[in-house]
Order: sequence, then C-alpha cells, then structure tokens
Amino acid sequence: MQRDKFFKEIENLRHPNETLVKTHCSYCGMQCGMNLRVNTETNKIIGVEPRYDWPVTVGKMCPKGVTAYQQTNHDDRILKPLIRDDASLKGTKEGFREATWDEAYDLIVKNFQQLQRDYGKDSLSVYSGVSMTNEKCYLTGKFARVGLQTRYIDYNGRFCMASAAGGFMRSFGVDRGSTLPWTDLHETDCLFIAGSNTAECHPTSMFRVWAVQERGGYLIVADPRETPIARRADVHLDLRPGTDLALANGILNLLIQNGYADEEFVNNHTNGFEETKELVKEFTPEYTSELTGVAPEKIIRAAEIYGKAPNAIVMFARGIEQQVKGVDNVSGYTNMALVTGKIGRPKAGVATFTGQGNGQGGREHGQKADALPGYRKINNPEHVKAVAKVWGIEPEEMPKEGVSAYEMFGLMEQKVIRGLYLLCSNPAVSAPNLNYVREQLKNLDFMVCSDFYLSESAEFADVILPTTTWSEDEGTVTNLEGRCIKINKAQDPLGESKPDWQIHVELCERLGRGKYFSHLKTAKDVGDEFRLASKGGYADYYGITWDKIEKQDGVFWPCKDENDPGTPHMFLDKKFYHPDGKAKICALPYRPPAEEPDEEYPLRLTTGRVVYHYLSGNQTRRINFLRDMCPEPYVEVHPETAEQYNIKHEEFVRLYTRRGEAEYKVKITEAIRKDTVFVPYHFGHDKSINLLTIGALDPMSRMPEFKACAAQIEKLELKKVQ
Amino acid sequence: MKKRLYLELENCIGCRSCLAACTQCGGHEERNRNYVYDVNPLVNRQTMPLMCLHCVNPACARSCPAQAIQIHETGAVLSALVEKCIGCQNCTIACPYGIPKFDTEQNLMYKCDLCIDRTKDGIPPMCASVCPSNTLQWLTDEEIEAKQKQFNLDNGKWVTSMPYLEGETNVRVNLPGILQGVTKLF
Ligand code: SF4
Ligand code: SF4
Ligand code: SF4
Ligand code: SF4
Repeated sequence: MQRDKFFKEIENLRHPNETLVKTHCSYCGMQCGMNLRVNTETNKIIGVEPRYDWPVTVGKMCPKGVTAYQQTNHDDRILKPLIRDDASLKGTKEGFREATWDEAYDLIVKNFQQLQRDYGKDSLSVYSGVSMTNEKCYLTGKFARVGLQTRYIDYNGRFCMASAAGGFMRSFGVDRGSTLPWTDLHETDCLFIAGSNTAECHPTSMFRVWAVQERGGYLIVADPRETPIARRADVHLDLRPGTDLALANGILNLLIQNGYADEEFVNNHTNGFEETKELVKEFTPEYTSELTGVAPEKIIRAAEIYGKAPNAIVMFARGIEQQVKGVDNVSGYTNMALVTGKIGRPKAGVATFTGQGNGQGGREHGQKADALPGYRKINNPEHVKAVAKVWGIEPEEMPKEGVSAYEMFGLMEQKVIRGLYLLCSNPAVSAPNLNYVREQLKNLDFMVCSDFYLSESAEFADVILPTTTWSEDEGTVTNLEGRCIKINKAQDPLGESKPDWQIHVELCERLGRGKYFSHLKTAKDVGDEFRLASKGGYADYYGITWDKIEKQDGVFWPCKDENDPGTPHMFLDKKFYHPDGKAKICALPYRPPAEEPDEEYPLRLTTGRVVYHYLSGNQTRRINFLRDMCPEPYVEVHPETAEQYNIKHEEFVRLYTRRGEAEYKVKITEAIRKDTVFVPYHFGHDKSINLLTIGALDPMSRMPEFKACAAQIEKLELKKVQ
Repeated sequence: MKKRLYLELENCIGCRSCLAACTQCGGHEERNRNYVYDVNPLVNRQTMPLMCLHCVNPACARSCPAQAIQIHETGAVLSALVEKCIGCQNCTIACPYGIPKFDTEQNLMYKCDLCIDRTKDGIPPMCASVCPSNTLQWLTDEEIEAKQKQFNLDNGKWVTSMPYLEGETNVRVNLPGILQGVTKLF
C-alpha cells in the first residue's frame, strides 16, 4: 500500500545466528521502520538493520533511530524494583535499595490506601506519557479511573500535541494529526511549514521535502531561526517567537484580498468565513510585519506562492503550538487551507509533526484529564456510559474531569494531590518553570516512578518500578500520519523488568480492583479491550486488528470494522466532523506572548531540540554516539547581539529570566534573529533551560509557552574549572 | 545491476546519521569511517558529508608500501589488511580528501570499505540506506545519468571527475547548487 517512487525492493543483510525482528523506532512520531538484529543463541538484541520495506521511511533513520537498540541492554537499566526509605534524600540519586516486586507493591498499596483513606480518592494522581503503545496508554487511563479511582490523570502530551489537538478539534471537529499520508508530501506543489525544525526533529521527512523542490515545487518555512530546512526554503519567514498568529492572519488576508479564496468550497463546506475576513483585514503586510518582524515582501511572496499552488500542504509543529495561543495558531494556519479549499483531496491538506512516537494514539484513548478511549469526553454522559460498560463499572463510578499536567503541580502545592504515580515521562526536565515543579515533586507524600532508567524525575520517587523498553513488549502505536502500526517484541524483558500494562494489572489486583483487570494476561488482551472501548468514538480503532496492520502496512483510523480498510485521506467527501458537516474558519484576534521583552529582560528566549536527543534526553543522553555528538546544551546568539554583550564564541554566559537561571556555552550563529536566543531543552539538573521557561498556559489546550519568554544574558568572566 | 554511491551535497541536513550508521557496519567496531563538516558554522547550518570516493586509481593504495589496501572487484577500496598494514600512515597523507583514519593503539589504518559485506551482494551501504535527506544514495548508472540531465548545472561541474584532484572515482558527487537547473512549476 502506498508504495511510491522511493520504494525499492531490497533484501536485508542477514548474518548467521541472527534473526531480524520487524518493528519501528522507539522515539519520534515518524516511527521509522527498523529491523532489530537478535542473536539466536543469547536471544539478545545486538544491532539494527534498515527496514527498506516500510513504505513511509524506506530504510531511512536519523542517528537516534540507528542507535535506539542500544537502550535495551544498556548498563544503566534498572533491573529490580528500588525503594528509598529516607525521604530526606528526595531529589538525589542516593538512598535507593533493591527490593522484590512484592515488597515494592506492598509499600505502594499501603501508602496509596493510607492517602486515600485520609485525604480521599483524588489525593492520588497519575502522570503519564505517550512514548508507549496504545495498549499501555489505554490501560493507564483505566488504571487511574478504575484502579485508583482518582480524577487526576494527565500526560506529557500537554507539552507536546495538546494545542494541535485543540486546534484541529475546533477547525475540523476531529483531531487526526495529518489529513493525508506522508507518501503524499513529495507530490504536492507547495509545502508551508511553520514552527517545525523538521530536519532535526523529523529528519526522515526530509527526502520528501527536498523532492518537492526538485520537482520545481516550493518550500516556505516560518521559523525564528534559519534551521537546516529554512536554509533551503524558497521563502523563509523569520518571525519573532510567539507572533505566529499575526503571520497566519496576514497571509490569510492576502489570500482573500488577492482572490485565492475558493468560494464554492467556502460556501458549501465551511462556516465563519465572513467574520474571519473582516478580522484579518487589519493584518496588512505592513502591520503584520510590524508585529512579526518579517519583511512585508516575504509575507506577500509567501501568500502568492501558497495561493497559486494547485496543491499545497500546511504543516506545523511545537514552534507554533507551545505558545499561550497555540490552539489559535493551529486554527490560524489551518484557515489557509480552508479558505483556499486546499484540503480534502490527495496532495493537499494540513498536518502537524507529532512529537512523540505515539503522540497521536496516546492522546486519543483516555490519559488526558478530560478524555476517554476513542477520543470520547469524560463530561459527556453518553460517552461515559459507553466506556463504563466496557470497563464493567457504573457510569456514576467514573471520576470527573481532572486538570492538565502543569496544573497538577499546582494541586500538589495545595496538598490536594499528595501521591503520584509517574510513568513514561520526565517532568523534572520537560516541564516549564522547573524550580517550582521540582519543589512540588519533592513535597509529595509518596511518589512512584516507573522507568527503565533512573531519570531526573525518578530521583524524587520513593519507589521505582523497573519497566521494559519498547523492544521487550508488543503492541500498536499511531504514527504522525494517523496510521496505526505494530511494535514487535524482540527480546525478553531484561532483569526483573515488566511492561507497564502488566504492572498496572498486578497493582490493581493488590488494590482489590482485580476483577476489572485480571483478565488482561497479554498485550493482545489489552489491545482487544482497547479496540472495543474505542468503538463508536471519533478515533474508532475497532477494525484495526494486528493482522490487518501486518497485511496493509498499517491502518489509518477511523477504521470501524473488520472490512473497513481505514482512512488514509481524511475529508475526501468534504465532510468534516462538526455536527453540520462543515469545517470552521476561525476569526482569531491577535495577542502577544504572555511575557514580552522589556528593559530588564530584553531578549526573547526560545527552546527546542537537536537531532541527537529526544525529549528530556533520559534515553538519548545515555547512548554514546548521541552523547558524544551533543554532550551539553548551549545558547545560540546572533553575532551582533553577542558583540553588544561583549561575548565570544564558546565563552560562558549566565542566562536568566524572572524564574531561574543557568550557565551555558555560547554558540555564535547568524542563523538566528538578533532579538532571540535559543537553548535546546534535553538536559537535566542545573543545565535545564526549563528552569527559565514560563508556566503561562494556553487557555484551551493548557499548553505552556515554552517557545517565548523574556530573558537576559550576563557574561561570565571566569568559567570555573570543572 | 551495478550500483554506485551518489552524493547530492546540497541536501545534507547535518544529522550525522551516516556516521551513526557507519559505526554499525560489520567489522567496524563501532567506529565510523566517514565525516560530516559544518561548512560555515558561525554563519549558517550548511553541512556536508565527506566520504571516500573509491578512486579508480587510488592514491591511498598507490602510496602504501605494504600493499595493505586492496581493491575489491566491485571497485571498493578496502580498509587496510590487519596482517599487512605497517602503520606508516602514508595513505592518510596521500589521499587528497583525508579519508583514511589511523588507530594509534592498534597501529592500523582504517577507512570506508563501502560496506563491502553489504555491497558485494548488492545491498546498499549503511550510510546511504539511512541518510534521511537523500544526500547519500545508492543508484544505478542509468539513474545517475538521469540525475545528471535533471540537474543540468550552468557551471558544468557536477561530478568530481577529471581533472579534479584524484581523477576518476567510483562514487559520483553532485556539488552544491542542484536546484539551479530546476524549472519552477508555476
Ligand atoms: S527518532 Fe524519529 S526520525 Fe529518528 S529514526 Fe526514530 S522515528 Fe525516525
Ligand atoms: S546522513 Fe545524510 S543528511 Fe545526515 S549528515 Fe549524513 S549525509 Fe548529511
Ligand atoms: S578517496 Fe582517498 S581513501 Fe578513498 S580511494 Fe581515493 S585516495 Fe583512497
Ligand atoms: S559505505 Fe559503509 S563503510 Fe563507507 S562510510 Fe558508508 S557506512 Fe561507512
């Protein structure tokens, strides 16, 4: 299916005494296909071999993917449960002792039950992540609501995909990250990419991006930095961080003024055009330029190219989404496609670059404070009824809506939340405003962390449960296209580690909730129950069987039954998911970032990733190759700005904001705006840039504004010898 | 059908996946044999890979007093034979591109062997398999010819062939500027 010009029949290299296990990368939403090489004598993973037969990535991988296998048998793996008896050591690596699973479970049950007896069911919380299978994500939601019976569950997608989800829900009535398969990308005529450092964060998209230009198509990139993809763009819209909505409105205004609106499409398939047209009138190229710092000619040229292109795809990522108006930015850029009718057909549409491996599937099936499996809503009684039936509970027993990830720390401060079960996430690095967040983790009465390495967040735990890496379990993941794919098991769990779904089942049995969980004996059992729980929801996975995934090279949701092949292209019938079948063109007034530069803090700080590391770096910083390539963070500064501060390349500076400070080595580059500095966020302890970032949230998605805050630099005269 | 390594330098995004992939080849002991350079790091993010070009008449092999550098029947210029290499490092100086690396502990030269364990059976090299930007590709001569027509550069310099540096090479290189000859769709 969808085999295109990049697909070639290639045999793999096979070594004696080895089998190849077909699977996908453990990291980002690209979910590149890979084969894990497994030694048939030791039954251990020993290497990687490209998967030429995977139609999306045809063997390609970034350096994280190439070295991903090294996670599994890594020396840093936690092999047994760890208990720390001395709570005064919280926040350090010290004081942990090995324990049996029984002892660890008993301690958790004792403390969880005590807390719930003293302070109510909702004194416990679950903080999860989406770098794990749909099966695990699904069961985590059930674990919180049925096992622990708490309302407080949320996940790290709040720092990742929540704004895209909110924007798509509002514009389309449905949130599938891409309206088309990735195999369409290289065939479009114009890619408009905003706030995505694609070459570093989703590198294996790049051969398709360059192919657009090779065919004579256009590439437009909006980014405060001249990233590797922006370097070759036909138009680089070098905007100030946090001003995307002005740019989107400005371009939309030009599209409408210059006659690129598709009246037929707008009239028949959308609402909100007139109101939006009025609102964006104000955003002339000059005014847009004033707000964004982008030259008017560039804005005009970008609008002209997008308007003229027979087919075009609007794409974006965390750059526009991690803002206090992230949801508006998403709808704002989506407006371009809706007004011009460049959607609902092959080679034209809208897509977000999903960050985490299962950022799509993981947000659909009920780990979000307000969501239940199948993209159902917990405050919709019908939805609750449907899921309660599958779970075997009464609808009244379903806990109410909780709060978002960052807001959970607020409830910890207020002692509303006193216990935490953390899995698949490392908020002590990835959350904003870390001085505050780390303080709240420290003050918890009791904290459990499930991880396969001792992460910075695990340093705050009382009990650490050793879980498996992605290669020691099986299940499904939904990639950035909305294609559900299969992760296969390549070796048995190392040491005493267990997959998270099994830990949840065993813990629930000990909490006296076994009758809701004991029937789940394999990942497939969990998968089958999850398909059933999603049945009838927006994100209907009922028809996505593991067999069908194998046969079809993955299955795009929605997929309602056994005979449904799934939905690679959304909206081909021009039917959107709002009740009237129309999409919404949104009138979105511009507002600036939560914190604008001033005299005291004159610079704009923005954060992001490098190609060598994934999220908080808990995994990738341990892989030799990746660590050697980027061992520490740095701050990117424009040479003219550096001169003002009298700082030179590779000198050290103190970078500070109203919330915190850190010391970084300076990297001088002309490939950044003069008013902006950039620091990658993958690093822990005193190197975390999130010590400085702001906890201001988008009112709809509750996404923090990682991408813009006000900062100041001070040159460090003497760098202490390490 | 014989395939060659083909480089389109302008595509490089500096991800260094080619380096990571090279550490994974058979017998490479986790050490990569290729290079990626930041072309002008204080100015922009342009990068480019530097690969062994597998010269038809390789200076490295010619300079070797011990005949340690063998040329495979596919044209691949192999890494030094452990039993023959005397560690004189002539080859590291002779190669105009600075490709051979030297292991001072083992007193042994090592270099790109074009993933001979793969390419001898027609399987693409690791680096060209993974390269996310199609900077490194593994193509037939016909495919390369089509590329040459497609990117008809105004300066005529599209392969490292005579009279540049070290003469004819098995690897084909497309210098920066591949988009110069492209006609825009609209
Ligand atoms: S990190 Fe992403 S792009 Fe890199 S190999 Fe893994 S899935 Fe592919
Ligand atoms: S893998 Fe390709 S894109 Fe990445 S550095 Fe190497 S040549 Fe450049
Ligand atoms: S490029 Fe250098 S190392 Fe490679 S074959 Fe030619 S001379 Fe030898
Ligand atoms: S062809 Fe093989 S040996 Fe040569 S640089 Fe590429 S990966 Fe390394």
